[in-house]
Amino acid sequence: MGDLAAEKHAKYILLVEKRKDDVESVLMEHLRINGAYWGLTTLDILGKLEAVEQERVVSWVMSCQHESGGFGGSEGHDPHVLYTLSAIQILALFDKIDVLDIDKVSSYIASLQNEDGSFSGDIWGEIDTRFSYVAICSLALLHRLDRINVEKAVKYIISCKNLDGGFGCTPGAESHAGQIFCCIGALAITGSLHYVDKDLLGWWLCERQVKSGGLNGRPEKLPDVCYSWWVLSSLIMIDRVHWIDKEKLVKFILDCQDTENGGISDRPDDAVDVFHTYFGVAGLSLLEYPGLKAIDPAYALPVDVVNRIFLR
Amino acid sequence: MSEADPFGYTEPSSLLYRLEFLLESDPLIDEVGFIHPSQFAALSDMSGSPSLSSMSMELQLADESKLKASPVNPTDMDFWSRDHKLGISTQAIHPLYNAAKHAFSSSFKQYKLLINLHAKRVGLDGDNVSNASSLATLECEVMKHSRALLLLSCDFGTAWNCRKEVVSKKQNIMLYLDELVVSTLVLSYSPKSERAWSHRRWVVKMIAGKCTNLQEILKNESELAQRIAEKSKMNYRAWNHRCWLVSYMPESQVIDELIKYRDWAGLHVADNSCFHYRTRLLTRTLADSFYKQDLKASHVHTAEVCQLWKEELSWSKILIKRYIGREALWLYRRFIAMCWIKHFAARMGGTHVESFVDNELQLFRSCTTVPDNVFEDYQSQAMFAATYIMWLIKQMDERQGVETREKVGEELEKVLNEVCPEKAFLWDLMTKKNGDLI
Repeated sequence: MGDLAAEKHAKYILLVEKRKDDVESVLMEHLRINGAYWGLTTLDILGKLEAVEQERVVSWVMSCQHESGGFGGSEGHDPHVLYTLSAIQILALFDKIDVLDIDKVSSYIASLQNEDGSFSGDIWGEIDTRFSYVAICSLALLHRLDRINVEKAVKYIISCKNLDGGFGCTPGAESHAGQIFCCIGALAITGSLHYVDKDLLGWWLCERQVKSGGLNGRPEKLPDVCYSWWVLSSLIMIDRVHWIDKEKLVKFILDCQDTENGGISDRPDDAVDVFHTYFGVAGLSLLEYPGLKAIDPAYALPVDVVNRIFLR
Repeated sequence: MSEADPFGYTEPSSLLYRLEFLLESDPLIDEVGFIHPSQFAALSDMSGSPSLSSMSMELQLADESKLKASPVNPTDMDFWSRDHKLGISTQAIHPLYNAAKHAFSSSFKQYKLLINLHAKRVGLDGDNVSNASSLATLECEVMKHSRALLLLSCDFGTAWNCRKEVVSKKQNIMLYLDELVVSTLVLSYSPKSERAWSHRRWVVKMIAGKCTNLQEILKNESELAQRIAEKSKMNYRAWNHRCWLVSYMPESQVIDELIKYRDWAGLHVADNSCFHYRTRLLTRTLADSFYKQDLKASHVHTAEVCQLWKEELSWSKILIKRYIGREALWLYRRFIAMCWIKHFAARMGGTHVESFVDNELQLFRSCTTVPDNVFEDYQSQAMFAATYIMWLIKQMDERQGVETREKVGEELEKVLNEVCPEKAFLWDLMTKKNGDLI
């Protein structure tokens, strides 16, 4: 195991941005704004955000906004809350939230809350606790949580809690570490973590650590670097991170690096991508790896960015 | 090529035109895949007729010898089709995607323009007839191009959305059901496509209450999820869809599903999602029996549900003993045991809870011997058995918990010390002083 190849990872991300006409990149254009958020946040944690042309990125982000106020994954694509959060997060990284018509964006998000407190992802009505998180996180970053019924939103999230202590995407759905992150993140942002049985959930989350030190997202699955973020951030938010073997997890993440060309993969020796590079670096940041900016486990943004928004 | 058609897709020779033609000529195509150009030769050897242009209709009509003698476009290196399966060359993906995206966007733009125009003009002039016919043509174009696009990029949300828009304007059940077919085709090459699964839920929500055969549709949905789960292991999206269906199922179907798919679960003992599905179904049986408490049928019904839970408990024990060290099986037992204690044993009164727990302690003890270390499965079995009992102790009411830990506390500690001394969280939970643990 070597050290974190920080320089190479930064180079890799900048290169991916340049190759946006490659077929792999073209086929993913519907979620390009998520990719931009993953890449830019990684660069910021690595202390390399100045390598990016800020103005060009900001104007591209704004070109993805739809007349409804929501954002699409690329220019001309339909809006969805998932892409709207990424847009807000990217603008937050550059301290540019003020370019938004905040009331318009908040109205779009607030309009997607349903009677039972849940959120639809867009006008077509699919419901998922991920959308609850995205809506709550977005509105908190915009200082507009008062636009929704927070109490009902929390109640809906709690209704998705399973007997094993975890959460799924709708009531009765299987517990999944990614969904747990969303539910715990939303409860943390709204100050509602007292509804969670921390020992029981912590137990389930710790059972995700496998022999190699990596974390899986569900029982019987292989470990995957992205769960270094989903599981770890949840454990931090419920104050149970001392329950896992952090050293072994650091080693697992570092073993997933491409030390020649940069980038991090899901498991050792697999192909790298921006998604896993972000989750690997963000996971290491949560594990206080030296040389990395600290990241906030609920907002998934560097702590200094979050402070700039809330302590201003 | 005109400006509206820079990729020339209206030319019969263009990739997109050919793809759409193939899809239309064989509506029974049920599987799509991508083929590397080097694989085309092998496929042609196999079939004797490599080209998609020799459509399946011909395949059905012609006998083998005739097939070999009819090489319709044998040099086709972009598409391959036979027996209602469609292969697309990996080299064609990029140009096809560009063409499909362009064709989709421009036809959808025109469609929206016309819809707006139509909305404004309704009832005002006599243009309606010609408008209606061009609207029908555009709808057809939008549906054709969005389908082609989704076969290349399964989560292209805007394409799924436009289909919803067109179909919901028509309010025709058959058109809704066609959307299930398109979604199935996309799932055949991308079984985890989130948008394809969510499109199905949209269809079910739209037709629920409006069609007479909802139960049959739900049954088909459940079977599809199972078929896909068979090929794509522990596919969260597929199982999630299946769990979502449960709230629409009548009680009889819930029980049918539990019984019908028990054998399948027994053959997939490492599939946590499949056991979670059973968790979801069993939870529904509890809700129904509570609901019916006031009715006359209640007594019989409760007995039936009780029997079902009993069978599930003994079946789970058989699996645990047969398949050593399977996490999913132990987690499932945590759920059924806890519900059994709370909803059945505790209500029966007497010593029902105590004797149930004693049985579980016996199960624990019988699983803690580690005869060899060859596959580490016996250690896992011992660890899961110990954490199972710990978990029950934490979830029971306080008095039961105290009693149980007095009986078995030391044994648990010994086992954990042997098989997983490094698990910090277990030791922390073991020694917690807040009254609910050992």
